[in-house]
Amino acid sequence: MRLARTTALLAALALLAPAGSTSAAPAGQITWGVHISLAPTYFDPAETPGLITPFMVLYALHDAVAKPMPGQAFAPSLAESWTQSKDGLVWEFVLRKNVRFHNGEPVTAEDVKFSFERYRGTAAKLLHDKVAAVDAADPLRVRFKLKKPWPDFLTFYATPATGAAWVVPKKYVEKVGDEGFKKAPVGAGPYKFVAFKPGVELVLEAYEGYWRKAPEVKTLVLRVIPDEATRLAALKRGEVDIAYSITGPLAEELKRTAGLTLKPTYMPFTSWLVPVDQWDPKSPWHDKRVRQAANLAIDRDAINQASYLGLSRVTANIVPHQMEYFWQAPAPRFDAAQARKLLAEAGYPNGFDAGELSGDMIYGTAIGEPAANYLNAAGIRVRLRLMERAAYYAEYGEKKLRGVLYTGSAAFGNAATRLETYVVGGGRYVYGSSPDIDGLFAEQVNETNPRVRQQVLHRIQQMVHERAMAIPVMETAFLNGVGGRVDNHGLNVITGFAYSAPYEDLTIRKK
Amino acid sequence: MKRFVLRRLGYAVLTLILLSLTIFLFVRVTGDPTVLLVEPGASRADIEALRQDLGLDRSLVVQYVGFVKDVIRGDFGRSFYYRTPVLELYLSRLPNSLLLAAAAMAFSLLIGIPSGIIAAVRVNGWWDSAGKIFALLGLSMPSFWVGLLLILFFSVYLGWLPSSGSGTVWHVLMPAFALGWYFAAAHMRLTRSSMLEVLGSEYVKLARLKGLPEALVISKHAFKNALIPVMTLAGINLVLMVNVAIVVETVFAWPGIGRLIYEGISFRDFPVVQATVLMNGSMVVIVSLMVDILYAVVDPRIRYER
Repeated sequence: MRLARTTALLAALALLAPAGSTSAAPAGQITWGVHISLAPTYFDPAETPGLITPFMVLYALHDAVAKPMPGQAFAPSLAESWTQSKDGLVWEFVLRKNVRFHNGEPVTAEDVKFSFERYRGTAAKLLHDKVAAVDAADPLRVRFKLKKPWPDFLTFYATPATGAAWVVPKKYVEKVGDEGFKKAPVGAGPYKFVAFKPGVELVLEAYEGYWRKAPEVKTLVLRVIPDEATRLAALKRGEVDIAYSITGPLAEELKRTAGLTLKPTYMPFTSWLVPVDQWDPKSPWHDKRVRQAANLAIDRDAINQASYLGLSRVTANIVPHQMEYFWQAPAPRFDAAQARKLLAEAGYPNGFDAGELSGDMIYGTAIGEPAANYLNAAGIRVRLRLMERAAYYAEYGEKKLRGVLYTGSAAFGNAATRLETYVVGGGRYVYGSSPDIDGLFAEQVNETNPRVRQQVLHRIQQMVHERAMAIPVMETAFLNGVGGRVDNHGLNVITGFAYSAPYEDLTIRKK
Repeated sequence: MKRFVLRRLGYAVLTLILLSLTIFLFVRVTGDPTVLLVEPGASRADIEALRQDLGLDRSLVVQYVGFVKDVIRGDFGRSFYYRTPVLELYLSRLPNSLLLAAAAMAFSLLIGIPSGIIAAVRVNGWWDSAGKIFALLGLSMPSFWVGLLLILFFSVYLGWLPSSGSGTVWHVLMPAFALGWYFAAAHMRLTRSSMLEVLGSEYVKLARLKGLPEALVISKHAFKNALIPVMTLAGINLVLMVNVAIVVETVFAWPGIGRLIYEGISFRDFPVVQATVLMNGSMVVIVSLMVDILYAVVDPRIRYER
């Protein structure tokens, strides 16, 4: 009788509990086998380099004013809402009430202002040049005043394009200093810092006071295992639950192993070839039909199957589909006969010597090499030249290379930032440009109406496609392995994010 | 003697200066590290800002003078990648490397010396052939391959040992074996040849003529003398084990100096590569200096000749 009464009471209490709340305390541990060494600089959002890797840690330790979350490119996080003034010059963010850092201090507008002003990572100069002032109007209200309307403000402020929106506790940072902060970081994220051994592992513990929800998993361990085969062995043995970056034959082995799952994620990472000689009137590449032939000559699906087990996305646009203002190009075709016909029409019935196809050692091998074989088969005779990654991109940026170049970019931003770097005159990797495209691009730079801007940026992408200025190949997948213990692994949940997140949503399978 | 020691010290300092200059220039020949620290699509402004921040916009002479001045003060700079003092990184990894080297050395001596003695005593016999095969395998199989085979067999197939990492005695077994096998083979070969030489010497023959038991002849008379070159080699190998376990440490995710060098090279982390090479070089120079001085103490002809 007493048992029945107790059960009824518990059932009533369960019904009264608010939806989404977790009654149990965080428990268990998830361990990752991480492919890259974690650095203390990743603990401080102010030092975010132009890489996605630090966000693997930032999503756990810290929180941002706004950030990409499942289903939302700019999700309100520490800010519950924001508004933009009609003239486009002022952005006002309203912060959530009662949000606290791990040390108990409240998150205030002063912290947001401080974090923005001390930010010195990638694109810091751009942000600081465009923002005239940041005012903490009251403890929960912060205003960003721009010098000129800047339609890409949120793209740079509230995505992994920079780390400027990630908030650190002002008082604590001033007390311990920058070095002290990296040794014992305090944030407002779902997990607290416990221990770090450089190059070995990072241990984090659930912060039950996290505003969005208390994490279900108590401990997270990010263990550095540089060798891919060892990462897979650790996953098979259950030493790690998630192993990042497993490629080629090892990915096939992972797929075949019972109890393990191969899980691709998609960053804004596109791979393409660009015939840089197209700007030389004497080059065969100057003829649009030759460039169209090259586009038709490559069997992208076959390359995808061979290098990425079919898990990448073939594409006909250098702008990845996750990016704002992306234009959906017609699906790429493989038609070797049509390619040869176009070459003949252009005056090259027996093909032509197209010089070198240069690329970096990694993707130049995985994508550039099979692409070169397809071009050769169609009569566009290229010689593969692979270089060490840094040397390759240095020569590429200094405009020293000729022929056809492999290009890959995973830089965050939107269609405008991608086009600015690779298509528009003056861009870091632009060997030549068209005045009409440059003119259109200039039109949208200060355009605050997103619809108008979208039309212009779509038009530019369409022109790049129609003129066959590039030979897009695929949006390259990042392959990972997941063990059987993990229920919600958080991979591929946030669009364009390579790693597990949000961490507070992760769960372990109940036995 | 004082003049001899001073001269040797002078050579040691000159060696280190040349080493610092060589590594400083060679590491820069590899190219611009900023390209590896940002995504390929990064803007020129970002790359320039990073170059300034890392001090790479200054001339090579200014950079080198600054580097030497800092090293004299005991400051090896800050890692480009970790953004922490390199010395701190190095010292945090050193105990792991020393532990791995000690374990690998113990393994290599425990296996190498007895098998070398047996091979010498039973020369051209079954044991000798087995020892030669063992030595050949140890010297010819790349340690990363041995490491991966060990992981597949002992971790994945049998499930006995952790595949990677550090922290317990179980973690050190496979990397110590993978690292130690090469050196065990070298120790075995040297022990064998050294023992063969000693066993053929007059005083061993005399010991046998005196009617001493064979075990006593081998252990007391022959082995003691044969051990000297082996121990000299082992001393040098110990320094090598601390510093060159790059592949083994990477395969087993062992957080030692070898992996630090690997990371430094991978990211073109100039300060890390400079500091680790210089520290490793210093270790070799100091050991050589001590050996030189000891030889001079033991053998007066050396200090008078030079």
